Amino acid sequence: MSDPALGLLMLSLIVVVIMLGFPTAFTLMGLGMFFGFIAFHQPGQSWSDNRVFDLMVERTFGAMNNDTLISIPLFVLMGYVMERGALVDKMFYSIQLAFRRVPASLAVATLIVCTFWGIASGLVGAVVVLMGVIAFNPMLKAGYNVKLASGVITAGGTLGILIPPSVMIIVYAAVAGQSVVKLYASAMFPGFFLSFLYLVYIVGWALIDPKIAPKLSEAETKVPVSDWVRKLQAAYSPNMPRALVSAVFSPAKALAIEADGKRITYGMLWSNLVAVLFPLALSAITLWGIWWYVVVHQTNEARANTGAPRIERAATPENAPQSAAPAADAETPQALGAESSQTGTAEASDESQGPQEVGDVNLRGLGEAAPAEAGPPDQFYYWFWGIVAATAVVLAWYYWRMEAELFELLKLLTSSVMPLGILTIVVLAVILFGITTATESAAVGAAGAFLLAIHARSLTWQRVKESVFLTAKTTAMVCWLFVGSALFSGVFAILGGQQLVEKWVLSLNMSPIGFMVLSQAIIFVLGWPLEWTEIIVIFVPIFLPLLKHFNIDPILWGTLVFVNLQAAFLSPPVAMSAFYLKGVAPKHVTLNQIFAGMMPYMVIVIVCMIFMYLWPGMTLWLPNYLYGGG
Amino acid sequence: MNTQRVERALQVADHVSTWAGKACAWLILILMFTVCIEVFKRYILNAPTAWIFDATNMMYGTLFMMCGAYTLSQDAHVRGDFLYSSMRPRTQATLDLILYVMFFIPGILALIYAGTDYAAYSWRIDEHSNVTSNGPAVYPFKTVIPVAGILVMLQGLAEIVRCVVCLKTGDWPARLKDAEEIDVVEQQLANSQYVDEESRRRAVESVHQIDESAHQRLKGGQT
Repeated sequence: MSDPALGLLMLSLIVVVIMLGFPTAFTLMGLGMFFGFIAFHQPGQSWSDNRVFDLMVERTFGAMNNDTLISIPLFVLMGYVMERGALVDKMFYSIQLAFRRVPASLAVATLIVCTFWGIASGLVGAVVVLMGVIAFNPMLKAGYNVKLASGVITAGGTLGILIPPSVMIIVYAAVAGQSVVKLYASAMFPGFFLSFLYLVYIVGWALIDPKIAPKLSEAETKVPVSDWVRKLQAAYSPNMPRALVSAVFSPAKALAIEADGKRITYGMLWSNLVAVLFPLALSAITLWGIWWYVVVHQTNEARANTGAPRIERAATPENAPQSAAPAADAETPQALGAESSQTGTAEASDESQGPQEVGDVNLRGLGEAAPAEAGPPDQFYYWFWGIVAATAVVLAWYYWRMEAELFELLKLLTSSVMPLGILTIVVLAVILFGITTATESAAVGAAGAFLLAIHARSLTWQRVKESVFLTAKTTAMVCWLFVGSALFSGVFAILGGQQLVEKWVLSLNMSPIGFMVLSQAIIFVLGWPLEWTEIIVIFVPIFLPLLKHFNIDPILWGTLVFVNLQAAFLSPPVAMSAFYLKGVAPKHVTLNQIFAGMMPYMVIVIVCMIFMYLWPGMTLWLPNYLYGGG
Repeated sequence: MNTQRVERALQVADHVSTWAGKACAWLILILMFTVCIEVFKRYILNAPTAWIFDATNMMYGTLFMMCGAYTLSQDAHVRGDFLYSSMRPRTQATLDLILYVMFFIPGILALIYAGTDYAAYSWRIDEHSNVTSNGPAVYPFKTVIPVAGILVMLQGLAEIVRCVVCLKTGDWPARLKDAEEIDVVEQQLANSQYVDEESRRRAVESVHQIDESAHQRLKGGQT
């Protein structure tokens, strides 16, 4: 038998043996060993000198030294600690209250929690079961359509494997030799776009046919208001921010208030005031971060490139404290302002005001100082200040209307959603802005997850142990698979199987679109019986070399694969999440109802893929903007 | 064949793999702290450390290689379980037994053989990392390959014994209890304030069964 034919035999055997259910890593190793032994065999050579052994050990050592895969255990650890530390049901409760006036509020809240939790964890099963308990029964009790309720949970549950920081993306990066950060950047918009499309679908359906999602009764959407808040309002002003501010300055009346047998302390007033200022601080920091990145950072970098390297270096150490600030003490925008003034570079000397006061002075100063080709386009300034003005109006309106209910709601949200949200935003921002490498931010993120869990008082020794051991098992699973497939694909290439596949595909004379559709269709079908690990590690490498022939960007293609696997995991009758949901659902919910609920979401994913194909800018704009084209 | 003795032997193998895996699992925390300290040193003190690249790679490589056997002992290596999980235990055991002998044993033997050579050569030439000048020694790291191979092989033999036991009795012998991903449901619900007692209890009781039956999706998910 000729070598390429052996290669094809190997490829078809692997499909068969995987379907037989043997641990895939060892299947790959065994098959690679056999075929490699034959491929390298030379007559007269002793079997022990066969070069397949060298190949094997080198591939193994390569996986052990892989500086892309090294971030896997760190991100996995972060996920496990976060999902143990975050208070999901509190999150669901507070988000649902916050959206109580939106149609199908429970479904919307479910989707948002799933998106958030998807950021933290990549486990489909656990998310679906948990949301099934926390959200499914309340939705059914409220009289929601079974299809709507089951669809949103199953679709939301699979989002986790797509939204960065996801392990799937790291594995793809390692397989395709692409940069993790670029792939993260490119999966960003499609991920959130997909969850936005889900949202539009839910709200749209509920608007057209309000029967499917009856409004909750008044009693259920009432925000519990504590006693002391009422008394404080009576003493000062019904407007909570005003009441708190005046209470902080003239505390006599406030300190006399007694509620639930406890007296109000001065510290309590302060901490509540800080909580009230939270939205303001958050928007200020975000806007300032955008400003800093687009105007200050890029101008500095452009200067550095044109012969002033010191500025850039001076800017680098500055990054860390600034971006760490939101996590550490986001409640204190003042501290941040002070920090920026201390660390401000020579260039940005007029940038020493607090973030809220990044005013016209700054704009003019930097706008003039920046060389024309380095600065952002004029449009940016219009947009930026437009957004600043809009945010200011919204915030003013929000504070104007903040009475007891809104205040309690804000406190609920800050205690449940914010910690998780801030940590993920910081981790992602640090990676995306290229401030640290993926590995470094993964480690910082994992440490941050521990801090969060300690903060939420949900960290026990038992959970630390569990997270560590689970991390070890998941890492070993993924990386041994990688070892196996490294050997397998090496042998496959040596046998010439790869070339044969390439020749065959090229002889079909397909257009790039044709190839794109075909490859995605194959992956879609493979997604039914297989897990994402096997698809990415074994089958994706076969397509990768072909992308060049068709001039397809491996980043765009990879992102399409990630989204595609969402659809595959939502397709009846093989989708696992349906079975998880069935397990926790009440008896009267049938599997067919769940499948029917999932179907539209599968269609939405496919629509999303078409969007991504027609409009590659959505995927590629962010990576190109952040790291330059190519 | 004395069943008790077989069970004992299985347990010993499981314990060895689990112990080695769990011991190395803690490297992840050390790795996390090392990188965090390095981030602090590099970005804030502007004083990067030269050997950190090698050190982190070694920790990660040792971590996943040494946990291979532990993962196998927990049956946590990914399987294409689409058809497999719907089969009867005896059919599963037959298939597994054949494939262990056909693929697993030659593959891992080759890994041990090649890894021993590789590591021995590294010891002989006193190999040091060339990522930086004066890099740390590489030979202990390369020794991890044969050691991990031997551990995986031992555990694989235990798995083969498991298959034989299953063929005789029709049931899979028990595995050691360990943390599972689905446990998070129980922990989250234990903290919950807004879920009613009844559904919480029901979910916690049935969560492992749900996990299992979700994998047997070809059976149509009857629970």
